[in-house]
Amino acid sequence: MDIKITEELDNTLKDNGFKKEEIQELIANAEASGTKLKARDGNVTIAKGGSDNLTVYAVYSPDELLDVYAHKMNILGLTGGELNEIDYDDASEWACAKCGEIALERNVDMTYMGVTRPGPGLVCPKCDEFYVSDGVAKTLKTAEAILEEKRA
Amino acid sequence: MPAKDYAPIDQNWLEEAGSLWTTPWVDKPSDRVIVDPIILSHAASLFRKNAGYFYQNPDEAIRMVCHACELYDVTPVGHYLYADYWGQDYGAEIKVQTNSPPGITKRPIKTAEDVDNFEVLDVDELTKGPTLTTHYKALDTCKEEFPHMFAPITQLGGTMEVATNWAAIEDVFMWMITEPELVDKLCVKAGDHMVNACKATSERYGANVMITGSVIASGDLMDTEQIKRFGFQPVSRAVRKVLNSGAGPGIYYHLCGNHTDDFEMWKNAPMSPFTIVQIGYDGQNIFPTSKLVEHFGDRCTCFGTVDTKLIDRGTPAQVYEQAKEQVTAGKDSPRGFILGTACECPTNAPPVNVHALVKAAKDHGKYEKF
Ligand SMILES: [Zn+2]
Repeated sequence: MDIKITEELDNTLKDNGFKKEEIQELIANAEASGTKLKARDGNVTIAKGGSDNLTVYAVYSPDELLDVYAHKMNILGLTGGELNEIDYDDASEWACAKCGEIALERNVDMTYMGVTRPGPGLVCPKCDEFYVSDGVAKTLKTAEAILEEKRA
Repeated sequence: MPAKDYAPIDQNWLEEAGSLWTTPWVDKPSDRVIVDPIILSHAASLFRKNAGYFYQNPDEAIRMVCHACELYDVTPVGHYLYADYWGQDYGAEIKVQTNSPPGITKRPIKTAEDVDNFEVLDVDELTKGPTLTTHYKALDTCKEEFPHMFAPITQLGGTMEVATNWAAIEDVFMWMITEPELVDKLCVKAGDHMVNACKATSERYGANVMITGSVIASGDLMDTEQIKRFGFQPVSRAVRKVLNSGAGPGIYYHLCGNHTDDFEMWKNAPMSPFTIVQIGYDGQNIFPTSKLVEHFGDRCTCFGTVDTKLIDRGTPAQVYEQAKEQVTAGKDSPRGFILGTACECPTNAPPVNVHALVKAAKDHGKYEKF
């Protein structure tokens, strides 16, 4: 898949320490494995990659990279351990590309610097895959900064 | 009283209290559980001022609160908020009262048509509005004069609290029976308003701690289905939106009143890494911390409570006994614990009772888990 990266976004990537090649590889892996989220409405995809120390997400349309974001908190699994019934509409705007299930907005346990707490995740109920939205990544960035300051 | 009239805050105390306060959020070991008696206008009573004075002078109010925190040796955070938030921004009239928070006398929503026509203010409009102007005056003073006691708090209440500051509570309760869809609409608008208020605080200070939950939507006034529909669901949607827009990370679920039949649904309310849950009562009794920790301890930070009626009218021995029981049950909760009061510390509570609460945490709140 040949994806266009605008100069502006490329500069943002560089400013945030992402390499263009890494992002291209991340997208290629997601395309090959099918482990990605697709917008239920429209033609936008979220792929994820990275390591335990940094989860990186790429948001892209069929021909263009739209956004890249990341978080350091490592997602361990569902908060409370299992996917029980809940009393509100937790359907997100995303669906799992692999199995077609709607991704659910659920709390997931996240760990960073020895601290484990919940955070708002996007969960494929079938594949046990976890993602976060770009806005939540922004919230997590603030949380990570607090943990870095207080756990130092 | 201008800033210069206060004695300086003891920096050693501040450092020690700051360390105790950090533990429940980031698991950094310290000696014991910290106490948060939710001091607001009670601080004014320590300075021989009344509640009316407290609410009309936000900058002084925050000074009084910060100094009260030092006096009692409690959570070093400059809280400032009052009951009737968000009415005035939409045209409500407020009556200043001597011995209680300002009360709304005229509400902007009177008819079903008003609900339909009601438009939520955007971030800019809210920032310039009377509620946040007053609120930020207090927070700015805190940031300037007590930087280590500053927290960017937005006082939201839940959707039912916002809704009943826009429309009379008796109208909203009548609509819940006659036209529940109208209350749905109102709660959606209240939720959108909450999101914009959080964005305003987050834009101003770089982070936001939202105080939300369910006060009117408790088992004392509503049944479980109503709490779910008009409280839990729209509040959850709003919190989720706040987190999805990067306007976190703090969430304080304040479940005031009786939550015997609905507390379990809140286990799945949207949470961030800095989430705390406080539940007031289990039927007529204080919500047992053992039960709170059993259900929420493996999820988020727990806020165990002592009955505000005891703080207000009980003896120090009664406060101490209940505080001892609650702190013993909660102190080693896996994701952190704070001991406090079921709701705001009553304005004229005897200081010895607040002291008894803190004393119980010092005597019985030593951590064993570290
Ligand atoms: Zn799936």
